[in-house]
Amino acid sequence: MIKSISVNENITLNHIPMTKLKTTTIGIYLSRELNRCEASKNAILPHILKNGCKRIESRTEIEHFLENLYGAKMSAGIAKKGNFHILCFEGETISDSFAPNGERLAEELLKLLLSIIFDTKDEFSDDVFLTERQNSITKIKSVINDKRIYANYRCQEEMSKGDIFNVSRLGYVEDMEKLTKEELYSYYKKIITSSLIDIYICGDVDFSEMEKAVKSSLSNIKFEHAERASETILQDKKEVNFVTEKMNVTQGKLSMGFLTHIKPADEDSIALVLANTIFGGGAQSKLFNNVREKLSLAYYAGSVLNRAKGFLTVNAGIETENFEKTKSEILLQLDEMKKGNISEEEILSSKNFIINSLNAYDDDQFEMISYYQGERLMQSDMEIDDYKQKILKLNKDDIVRVISKVTLDTVYFITGVIDAYEKNN
Amino acid sequence: MKKIIDKYSGECLYFEKDKSGLSVYIMPRKDYTGSYAVFATKYGSVDSEFIVPNEDGITKVPDGIAHYLEHKMFDQPDGSNVFEKFSKYGGEANAYTSFNMTAYLFSATEHFYENLETLMDYVQSPYFTKESVQKEQGIIAQEIGMYDDNASWRLFFNFLGLLYHNNPVKLDIAGTVDSISKIDENLLYKCYNTFYNLSNMTLFVTGNLEPEKTLEVIQKNIKNTKPFDTEIKRIYPNEPKTVAGKFKTQKISVSMPMFMIGWKDNDVGFSGKRLLKKSIEMEILLEMIFGKGSALYNELYGAGLINQSFSFEFAPQKEYSYIEIDGQSENPKAVYERVCAHIKKLKERGFLETDFERIKKVIWGDYIRSFNDIEGYSNTFITMSLLDINYFDYFEEYQKITFNDILTRFSQQFCEDLCVMSEIQPDKEEN
Repeated sequence: MIKSISVNENITLNHIPMTKLKTTTIGIYLSRELNRCEASKNAILPHILKNGCKRIESRTEIEHFLENLYGAKMSAGIAKKGNFHILCFEGETISDSFAPNGERLAEELLKLLLSIIFDTKDEFSDDVFLTERQNSITKIKSVINDKRIYANYRCQEEMSKGDIFNVSRLGYVEDMEKLTKEELYSYYKKIITSSLIDIYICGDVDFSEMEKAVKSSLSNIKFEHAERASETILQDKKEVNFVTEKMNVTQGKLSMGFLTHIKPADEDSIALVLANTIFGGGAQSKLFNNVREKLSLAYYAGSVLNRAKGFLTVNAGIETENFEKTKSEILLQLDEMKKGNISEEEILSSKNFIINSLNAYDDDQFEMISYYQGERLMQSDMEIDDYKQKILKLNKDDIVRVISKVTLDTVYFITGVIDAYEKNN
Repeated sequence: MKKIIDKYSGECLYFEKDKSGLSVYIMPRKDYTGSYAVFATKYGSVDSEFIVPNEDGITKVPDGIAHYLEHKMFDQPDGSNVFEKFSKYGGEANAYTSFNMTAYLFSATEHFYENLETLMDYVQSPYFTKESVQKEQGIIAQEIGMYDDNASWRLFFNFLGLLYHNNPVKLDIAGTVDSISKIDENLLYKCYNTFYNLSNMTLFVTGNLEPEKTLEVIQKNIKNTKPFDTEIKRIYPNEPKTVAGKFKTQKISVSMPMFMIGWKDNDVGFSGKRLLKKSIEMEILLEMIFGKGSALYNELYGAGLINQSFSFEFAPQKEYSYIEIDGQSENPKAVYERVCAHIKKLKERGFLETDFERIKKVIWGDYIRSFNDIEGYSNTFITMSLLDINYFDYFEEYQKITFNDILTRFSQQFCEDLCVMSEIQPDKEEN
């Protein structure tokens, strides 16, 4: 389904045709290996670049340009997948067939993104640098705002001590504060020609026109060799790590981290996806039905698998006094699975759940791009149909085999100081 | 079935008013893998006082009951689990309660008709017992607790509390731990029998489906066929035109202050096409004033007073309406002052017609784009339909809008007396 061509040694251009949607989506991703020294620079750079380029100088002019493309969207950000730190530049426009005056919207948008990434002004302006540096610091400090996300973030941080995955996606306040615009500019110059870059276009476009646009935008740039990031999963510690933080919240947040000991390229990696779904992915899962529905211990309870780094986290919002009870129930449900107490019904409905999610990628361009990008980074390159076939072939033995490898690593808990009833009255 | 075609997007819509009173909309999307259905009642958290058709007295129920009822709809008379039934057919079910609506929905990529039957069956099968109603109190109290800690949620409800003296929109959708303790099975049945009468409900289905067969399945699965012959009379307290307060600050453990600034809109009391036109005018106007390409946005962003979290919205309803802008800022007061000064300047100097033309293009793009996501589309469509708006009329109304309409609309809005600000400030003791 996906068509890929190498533009040069570093850059791949990918086309995922999809004509049923009324839009075309473009994603350009520059991948670096996670590294404490580079993290803050990577995190701030996309935000600086989106403020202007040689062709369209200011932020407001870029916005007007996008508005004239019938409100095309453009965003920049930073992602962390496996050991990769990824600078993301994304855009979306209504497809050319809906342009009232025959405008070539997708091509204009692609050229804008390329200009922003490669055709930067000769220096970063003070105003832009200082504003975006402040925004980047704010973003780091804001992680604590949503306690549900924060608990999960802290759990992962605890789990990954000693691994490069510990490097923060958003960078570090102290590094940001020390950063100068000159230092950032020379870093930009270095990495822009020496990193792996993947361009994805999903939608209704003439791919050869897109290819031409990319090649002509890059014709004057000399690229250098780019290194791929390593691939490692999280490793066992000597003992389970318990961490508790007290905060002014009415509801406690529990996040438990488990190691899977299965690498993304392992044959068992797909079975793990199914096992996790039965355990805590969705409303048919053991955690949802026992922790939430049967015992009324939590408003939410579920697990999320990180295939690339070989771990999963279980997250639940609970009353502080229910901590022990909830933790035991979660471990009990895991044990039940290890013992093989999994019904055919559970297997079937969890398979359906996964197939349903995979099918749904077909109707969403960002999801589609994200799927293929993830596969590329894990060097798995599995087509969605093959993925589905593998899921459907799995049986109970496969599930028990992989879930038996799962071990508890970290228990992280935010305890409340006021109970819900007092605060409400 | 009535068939309507939108010549701009090429999409088509079927409508049928069933004899049960149920409004059915079917929108085939041939190439889509997914399908989606939402079964909604015009009944939300604001409907705590009403007169049941053919009764004389007023019924008053505890706050939060619409949401409570939504939770309890998942209990079935035969003890079966609704989620399990959906899972069997690969359907993902969910439900939500808003101020004005309770919606039950599923998305699926296979077995569409079986999932549709499951949806219709459970929403038409109330089963409440004393025990099951009591059991839910723990879960809902957890949910209330979760929202108590949620800074965005508190910001929003404090904001509504400033705008409204009496309108129940200012109350938490889930109620309070105290109000929900007064809910029992009899009250739930009373609300169910009133608001879940099919003449008060709408079903919207979309995806890769056959319209005639879909209608057949729907009609076969209708249980109650006796519609009310009169409307349910909803009683809302009288709301003064003034605001209830100007500023409110709450401390929560957040890293950076948050603000929500807004204006009460007193041009209310109507629905239908008039509301649709107003709503598009407001979309254009807000984009012109606050959009990323606007002078105000550039000023605030450049001064470091707002960041990417900045957003704005117009809330069009029949009984209440407001404009809000929100975001994070180290200095919400400065944002408030600059916004007010800018509005004042606009009142004196007016707008550029070229900005209007450019923003009108954006709104066109957004309209075309809205067809992409069938779930989002369905929810927009059904929310609008409860306001007597057919979303398929959007383009017709959009075309009518002139620069003068925008100027007139602007002159009626943004009165400084009706401007309020809710703030969340970091809870310093803890950090």
